[in-house]
Amino acid sequence: MLKNIQEWILLLGVFGIIAIIGNWIGYDILPVSALPGMIVLVLICLSGFILRDLIPINFPSIAYISIIGVLVSMPWMPGSEKVVEWTSQVELLALATPILAYAGIAIGRSWTDFTKLGWKTIIVATFVMVGTFIGSALIAEVILRVQGII
Amino acid sequence: MNENANQVHGLWKDWRLHVLVLLTVIITEAIGTFRIPLGPGVILLLPMLYALIIGLLLYFTPLVKEKQSKTAEPIIVLGVALLLAKIGVIIGPSLPDVIAAGPALLLQELGNLGTIFLALPVAIWLGMRREAIGMTHSIGREPNVGLIMDKYGISSPEGRGVMAMYIFGTVFGAVFLGLLSGLLATITPLSPLSFAMASGVGSGSMMAAASGSLIAAFPEMETQIIAFAGASNLLSLSTGLWVSIFIGLPLTEKLYTIMTRKRGEQ
Repeated sequence: MLKNIQEWILLLGVFGIIAIIGNWIGYDILPVSALPGMIVLVLICLSGFILRDLIPINFPSIAYISIIGVLVSMPWMPGSEKVVEWTSQVELLALATPILAYAGIAIGRSWTDFTKLGWKTIIVATFVMVGTFIGSALIAEVILRVQGII
Repeated sequence: MNENANQVHGLWKDWRLHVLVLLTVIITEAIGTFRIPLGPGVILLLPMLYALIIGLLLYFTPLVKEKQSKTAEPIIVLGVALLLAKIGVIIGPSLPDVIAAGPALLLQELGNLGTIFLALPVAIWLGMRREAIGMTHSIGREPNVGLIMDKYGISSPEGRGVMAMYIFGTVFGAVFLGLLSGLLATITPLSPLSFAMASGVGSGSMMAAASGSLIAAFPEMETQIIAFAGASNLLSLSTGLWVSIFIGLPLTEKLYTIMTRKRGEQ
């Protein structure tokens, strides 16, 4: 467990440093201003991983992480202003860029499988993505309008 | 993206991989975002899209070995964990908004069924057989692959179909939804918030790309877009499988039977 925590911290640290540098180049936020927010995010992830290991039910760590993130930043939570202020210095897109860089390197291995898909498969897959995306957006639009939110 | 954050031993030591990613991030963030006007809409080219393509190209250079590619996979899970922590702290302060939008968030999960009505007829029209069921019953992420494998077996036509969808989504999903969401949100009269909810339909990287384009197109709505996309993704994770089991898959089977019977009569 302790060994795991150490590995998680190191790996999240490496990822965090890459994201902080991207955050600096792409969004002009100095690493020193982004650091407290990144530490908070790393701590939230760590608590999620630890909870997943401690609680013996099959609940994904990313669900714990989202929930902890929401809890520590709710307006009713003492100290939440600091959490929000610090983490606002870490841009969402600066976190997404390294994820997709790693993803690109990882999906290289799926590329040969991909080239084996026929043109029919690719057309149908395109329609699956478009259908799912537009279907969700249409229903959301209708309900949000009925509720008067938009 | 599997729950393999447990097996992270020594991955931080793969300096070749991390340095390559760092260089990719530096280059792509320095290039920045490009906006290509397309009629009334905009196609947004974001650093993360170049990063994905550069990463993929790197795989085919001698710089990346099989080992780096394997190591990268669990790191995606950790990266998505950080992304979800960030989304969590954005949802927190906007929790009252998210709760107010609860009905829309819950019901738009049923919108995932849109694929069946749009893609299944196309698949059948192109002459696909039962592969079509695996392919079009959902957007085909891990839980759906598991469901189809469980029900039809790994070497069944349905199994081949869902794997094809999974591979397409893995390779192209983020790029595709990233381009689509920015374009649709700028050319259709639908609200960016509806598209924000739709951004959560697939994997974490799909959500990042789709909502990223929305933020770039509508920066003034950033907080709400992230909060809705994140909440929708969280709901997809928890309810998506159930929608597939109880509605998506039976509906696909039913429609498939009706449509192929009709074709047989002609």
